[in-house]
Amino acid sequence: MKRLITDQSFVLKKELENTFVQLLEKNQNIVHKVCRIYTNDQDSHNDLFQEITIQLWKAYPKFRGDAKFSTWMYRVALNTAITLYRKQKRAPKTQDYESVHYKISASGYDDTIEQQLKVMYAAVKELNDIDKALVFLYLEDKNYREISETLGISEVNARVKMNRIKNKLKNILNP
Amino acid sequence: MDELELLKKDWKAREKDLPRLKASEIYPMLLKKSSSIVKWIFIISIIELALSTFLNIYLADDEFWAQVKNIHFKNVMIGIYIFSYLATGVFIFLFYKNYKNISTTDSASQLMKNILKTRRVVKYYILYVLVSSGITMILYFVFSIMYPPAGSGIDPEKLNWGWALLIAIGVTLLFLTLLWLFYLLVYGILLRKLKRNYKELKKLEL
Repeated sequence: MKRLITDQSFVLKKELENTFVQLLEKNQNIVHKVCRIYTNDQDSHNDLFQEITIQLWKAYPKFRGDAKFSTWMYRVALNTAITLYRKQKRAPKTQDYESVHYKISASGYDDTIEQQLKVMYAAVKELNDIDKALVFLYLEDKNYREISETLGISEVNARVKMNRIKNKLKNILNP
Repeated sequence: MDELELLKKDWKAREKDLPRLKASEIYPMLLKKSSSIVKWIFIISIIELALSTFLNIYLADDEFWAQVKNIHFKNVMIGIYIFSYLATGVFIFLFYKNYKNISTTDSASQLMKNILKTRRVVKYYILYVLVSSGITMILYFVFSIMYPPAGSGIDPEKLNWGWALLIAIGVTLLFLTLLWLFYLLVYGILLRKLKRNYKELKKLEL
């Protein structure tokens, strides 16, 4: 009898695992994008992806179908990046070449859109964890209600904060 | 055009460059161990709770009780023990309850609040252990001077109580400060980023 129950729970667990992996595979872009905004090199990107996957998997049994899987993912992924993830110290060789590259370009006089974008990406990288989350959700087309719910602040505060970030970016582009 | 709108457009365009993992690459990830700070906080807290309970039991051998009896401290000591077990029980219950409340599906601000709350319980526990061991140490010292064991050469009548107490308190404080510093170091490293982010969110509520 006991054996039967163990077998059954094993099958159930396997099913749960399969559904979860399918959902994550389909929606993995969200996690990659969070990693892209919070890390600077490929190793850290993979590390954070791994940690977010674990946190998603741990929280999955409590996931109820009433929320969209992707909405739920935004929350867990951002929480992991802001709150739970501790960056591993790495050797300088893996330092982000991208942001170094941006900084060099930023000092030039080229004013093409390409250049503007590079400067803005570099500026976003310099923001603190919370501001990054705001910009990220904004870039992902989330409205202020969703942003405020994910971060746990009021809608008004989210707007005020977002305006400040916009001004900050504007100033960087047009000093 | 709004700068951020420009960025948004580019952000969407770059989506096609994102890495793409296959299901077979995701499966092994589920088996890996988490290295989140919550896990570390949990492990360290359990070690702290276990260590102080263990020391409490380990140090109280027969010899200790004989000594305690000698200096008329036994009843007080039993009282202290009963109280400390009750207190530890309450702390473990609170810690576990708070830990269970930590959920990554909460809002970022709620999640941080819950983690810091869990930490606070253990912080109070450490504070309680430090203060109660300090009081016990000093009481023990006072009793052993009031009822000196035979052959100790202490004569309560002739003793300079001021100095004796000062030394006792000094040694106790030094010991407690060292423990406290060690504690700050461990959690300082662990909680720095979390505290910074929490302050950032707190600032918004003003």
